Amino acid sequence: MGVCITGIGVVSAIGMSVDENLSALREGKTGIGPLHYLQGTKASLAGEVKASNDELRAALGVGTEYVSRTSLLGLQAAREAWGDNKRSGVIRTGIISATSVGGMDRSEVFYKDYLAQNNPDYRLLTTHNSGSTTERIAKELGITGYINTLSTACSSGVNAIMLGARLILQGILDRVLVGGSDALSGFTIDGFRSLMIYDDQWCRPFDDSRAGLNLGEGAGFLLLEGEKSLELTGNKPICNVSGWANAADAYHQTASSPDGKGATLAIEHAIRRAGIGLDQISYVNAHGTGTKNNDHSESVALQNVFGSRVPAFSSTKAFTGHTLAAAGAIEAVFSVLAIRHNLIFPNLNYRTAIAETGLVPATKLETGVEVNAVLSNSFGFGGNNSSLVLTKYE
Amino acid sequence: MSKPALYLSAASTISHQPTFRNRGFSAALEPVEASSALISPDYKAYIDAGLLRRMSKILRMSVACAKDCMEQAGTGQPDAIVVGTGLGCLQDTEKFLNTSLTVEGLLPPTSFIQSTHNTMAGQISLSLGNHGYNMTHTQNTLSFEHALLDAAMLLHEGDRNVLVGAADEHIDILEDIAVRLAFETSAPLTSAASFFVLSAEKQGSAKVVLTDVYTGGGAKYGQEDIDAFLDRNGLQAGDIDLALYAGDPVQGVTGNVDYLSLAGVYPTASAFALHYAIDLLGTNSEVKNVLICNGLRKSNLGLTLLKAVEA
Repeated sequence: MGVCITGIGVVSAIGMSVDENLSALREGKTGIGPLHYLQGTKASLAGEVKASNDELRAALGVGTEYVSRTSLLGLQAAREAWGDNKRSGVIRTGIISATSVGGMDRSEVFYKDYLAQNNPDYRLLTTHNSGSTTERIAKELGITGYINTLSTACSSGVNAIMLGARLILQGILDRVLVGGSDALSGFTIDGFRSLMIYDDQWCRPFDDSRAGLNLGEGAGFLLLEGEKSLELTGNKPICNVSGWANAADAYHQTASSPDGKGATLAIEHAIRRAGIGLDQISYVNAHGTGTKNNDHSESVALQNVFGSRVPAFSSTKAFTGHTLAAAGAIEAVFSVLAIRHNLIFPNLNYRTAIAETGLVPATKLETGVEVNAVLSNSFGFGGNNSSLVLTKYE
Repeated sequence: MSKPALYLSAASTISHQPTFRNRGFSAALEPVEASSALISPDYKAYIDAGLLRRMSKILRMSVACAKDCMEQAGTGQPDAIVVGTGLGCLQDTEKFLNTSLTVEGLLPPTSFIQSTHNTMAGQISLSLGNHGYNMTHTQNTLSFEHALLDAAMLLHEGDRNVLVGAADEHIDILEDIAVRLAFETSAPLTSAASFFVLSAEKQGSAKVVLTDVYTGGGAKYGQEDIDAFLDRNGLQAGDIDLALYAGDPVQGVTGNVDYLSLAGVYPTASAFALHYAIDLLGTNSEVKNVLICNGLRKSNLGLTLLKAVEA
């Protein structure tokens, strides 16, 4: 039976729920646009969640103002994934979230006042700690015990899913809510701009003219259950988490290697762990950030693994923007939707293949295919490469 | 956990105490003074000078400890690198935050690149040329225990040697924040890094096995949780020769030492306690069972059980 996914939740620039995200993916409708909620940044375009902190707090019933947007977005998605499930004294339940900015959206408000000596509110810093974003979500859902946060930059979300699956297989937990959350912040926008990989135009993953990423924000969560938990909850599995791997590129602090070494290792090991053939991968939800470096390196890795038979693939970053630590979790939810509804999502903004690799992504929504297994990639700073294989529950 | 025991094949700590490459340090340790400073080794012996210039305190400490560990263990490439950090790369985070709020135009990216929590694990993989599993846990005061549990799981899944450690760095603004938020500590705020090699088989002179590690969060924890943990390992409090604790002493054990008084206060100080325990178990034959009880934060409990390797 392995590890089953029985619940999913997502919030992103293209919607506040699984249904809204699915509709936008089907309609090819992007959520990237000029910033409306986060003011004072230098980004012309980003994938903002279309709700203010006050609106999120009101909708979620969170009273305190001392809560990060990262926690609010995480809670929104975690609640949806958790659904009507009940706390249990018998089912050992944990939560693993992933974040890269933590409460930076609040800390930078503090620090601005601190520098200006404008009566800074030190309590804003109580949400800075990345671990506290997960503790907040756990508290609202009433989960105690195993509460953990991973932070491996842009691969964090996949790593949370992987760790959750391993904890179930080792018998440490019976079920675990896994996912990731990151809010937009001036810090990350300036950071990616300083690296000169923030595109002022709409990002173009896997296109030869690509010039960088657009940041996004959001959260994705999945409820994973093992056999014992399923027996007690009676939940119906949607998919299996079948394969996973994490590997270090060990090439450069931020850039991916031109030979795609770490990515190749992650993809190969994840598929091997899933115990399926290369030809059984129906769809690849690529990392595809739209930077020159990532998309080239990832294309090379796909060719290293699949040779001339690269499966249908696309990046959904042109819908959501790059949501950093949330990306792997949001895209895992999209991968579940691909399997559940037999869909291959379009890679928006693609026109011309990358000259060196010639790979052509899926550009239209495909509905007439059977999607039984999806490979989802997430690659991050520090050469952190992770891949996940989800399969249809049989 | 309660699976086959795992061996601690190497340990390395850079801290406010004379811990680095100083076997037997546990015997002569005095409480850490408020006026104390980080005792830095000659980093050039471990890190390329060009890289070193750009590295913050937490990166220097981490890479040097990691390299020292690999040298001690003599196992070649580790199968995985797992790091815990409570607050991550504060120095570079504050630096980039400051730059982004005060500088107009193009910003230098180095401090942004080095601000992410996984910079230590990433830099270690780069410096070792390691392509294995690379993970960073950041769960407040339990970040190290989570890393240790992950490392133990990897060994149960078939890995042979895992490099696991923790690091946190002090920056000046923390003193101000601690006062403003009325965060009272029994010892000064400090910086430190500790790394270990955890092995599935006994390597060379390994003197200590990791028997079990537990993390609990989001609840009120007490003596009954400690007793339950010992019970699942077939032990009672009376079997524990020494408890290294943060928070409240452990009842019923032979000896109790407040490890924060030695390490100072930082979120992953329990990693200092682990090295202290390894040093003590390796040099004092009267100590057999050690429990590290991390109650640095009331709503979190970390428990780590160690045993001397039987001769």
